[in-house]
Amino acid sequence: MPEPLMTYLVIPLVKIVVILLVLILGAAYLTFFERKILAYIQIRLGPNRVGPKGWLQAIADALKLFVKEDLTPARSEKFVFLLAPVLIIVPALLVFAVIPFGPSDIWRLTDINVALLFVLGVSSVGIYGIILGGWSSNNKYSLMGGLRSAAQLISYEVPMGFAVVTVVVMAGSLSLVRIVEVQRELGVWFFLPGIVALFVYFVCGVAETNRNPFDLPEAESELVGGFHTEYSGMKWAFFFLGEYANMIVISAMATVLFFGGWLPPFPNLLEPLWTSSALAWVPPPFWFLLKVAAFIFLYMWFRGTFPRYRFDQLMRLGWKVLLPVSLANLMVVALGVLMLGERS
Amino acid sequence: MSWWDKLVAFIPLELVQGLGVTGKYLFRKKVTVQYPEQRLEPKDRFRGMFGFSEERCIVCHNCAKACPIDIIHITDHFEESVVDGKKRKKKVLDRYDIDLKRCMFCGLCEEACPTKPVAIWLTTKTYETAAYERNERLYLDKVRLQTWDGVLPFPGVKAPAEGGMPEDPKAEKKAAGGEGA
Repeated sequence: MPEPLMTYLVIPLVKIVVILLVLILGAAYLTFFERKILAYIQIRLGPNRVGPKGWLQAIADALKLFVKEDLTPARSEKFVFLLAPVLIIVPALLVFAVIPFGPSDIWRLTDINVALLFVLGVSSVGIYGIILGGWSSNNKYSLMGGLRSAAQLISYEVPMGFAVVTVVVMAGSLSLVRIVEVQRELGVWFFLPGIVALFVYFVCGVAETNRNPFDLPEAESELVGGFHTEYSGMKWAFFFLGEYANMIVISAMATVLFFGGWLPPFPNLLEPLWTSSALAWVPPPFWFLLKVAAFIFLYMWFRGTFPRYRFDQLMRLGWKVLLPVSLANLMVVALGVLMLGERS
Repeated sequence: MSWWDKLVAFIPLELVQGLGVTGKYLFRKKVTVQYPEQRLEPKDRFRGMFGFSEERCIVCHNCAKACPIDIIHITDHFEESVVDGKKRKKKVLDRYDIDLKRCMFCGLCEEACPTKPVAIWLTTKTYETAAYERNERLYLDKVRLQTWDGVLPFPGVKAPAEGGMPEDPKAEKKAAGGEGA
């Protein structure tokens, strides 16, 4: 096999397949973990009947969704109705093209120099899936959910952008690999200087994925099911896979931006431990996935704890609290970087 | 409020407090009862499945009269017999049916029963009376009332046919520390 074909086609394809499989399986199992964690918070046991300790529950759910009847409302916009679930899951999966799981080229699909911009741009496309899905269902609850989602995502995209810019100022690069490298060189992860940015980023991330306490677009108790009221079967499953994949995206980005990506804890202080002892065999993606898992657990913990915001409260939080806070934080951090002169 | 207090008010400590509460519950002992394998024993005041004893029944119809929704159907006839040279008339039960579909387990029939120990009682702890055929399974005639055909007795309580008939259910309740009087 010629060398270019191997480097540019076969290896990337294999990586893509692996990433997709892991991601979709992971998203499916997140539903299981979520049910389990919520149950434990509510002093229940959660799903424990399918397979040993309930471990096959996610598989059973997936099988059920595959064989369920796929309904399309009679007076809906058929093509858009079909398009919406695709629009929500494709951007969520596309983001993983640039996310670095480890230091070397084997552990990532690609490293582009504007990866951060790519992530922000692509993940913003996901909102179209929600709006179009809500609109094409020809159902007032769905439309309400879609509109709420649009307003919410536009509001929270702004402070999230500023929170990310804070990291860019500190790292001096838009490349995700470079951002992690800078954290290693500095010996300090960005969540310490950017604790406010991390808070703003994660709150906005929770809001962007339409999760509790910002789940107004779905709001079972008010809007039936929000934008996916009319969806069933695999299309509905796509919405859910998209939501969980987006959770993974936000968690992975938080890990890369603020928690040093694939770096082990205290990479410089404990360097002998990570390079020479038995722990040297731990592959870097392990640390990455560990951090991502912690963030995802935080998501589920939030869901078990916080009640849903009212819509006006949501808007007030976005525009009157998070936006000024993130702006002020950006100024302070930029000033600090200027004073310390670490990066130009 | 000084500017410092206002700044501190921005730190969302309440959120962390809330997370702490749910975090504690995460490690609590779980209260779920795994139903088909584990069962809760009902309290002694529990009014469960019927029992009925034809030997003790004096066919007074009090239970049928006490029933607020009239689901106890009793018919009888007199049988004449000669005991010690005297003619004696005795009521004999033809039919004693309870339409369990509509029963609300109020226990008024048990309270109205004048026999001691009562011929009809609701003191058993059987609550698993679900059935596939309601007209077949939930309409109890006097044979099925005494054998509990199709109804599994609660673990620990025997069916009437197996000698599960308590000598004095009220006294048993008292002994178990259930009811006061």
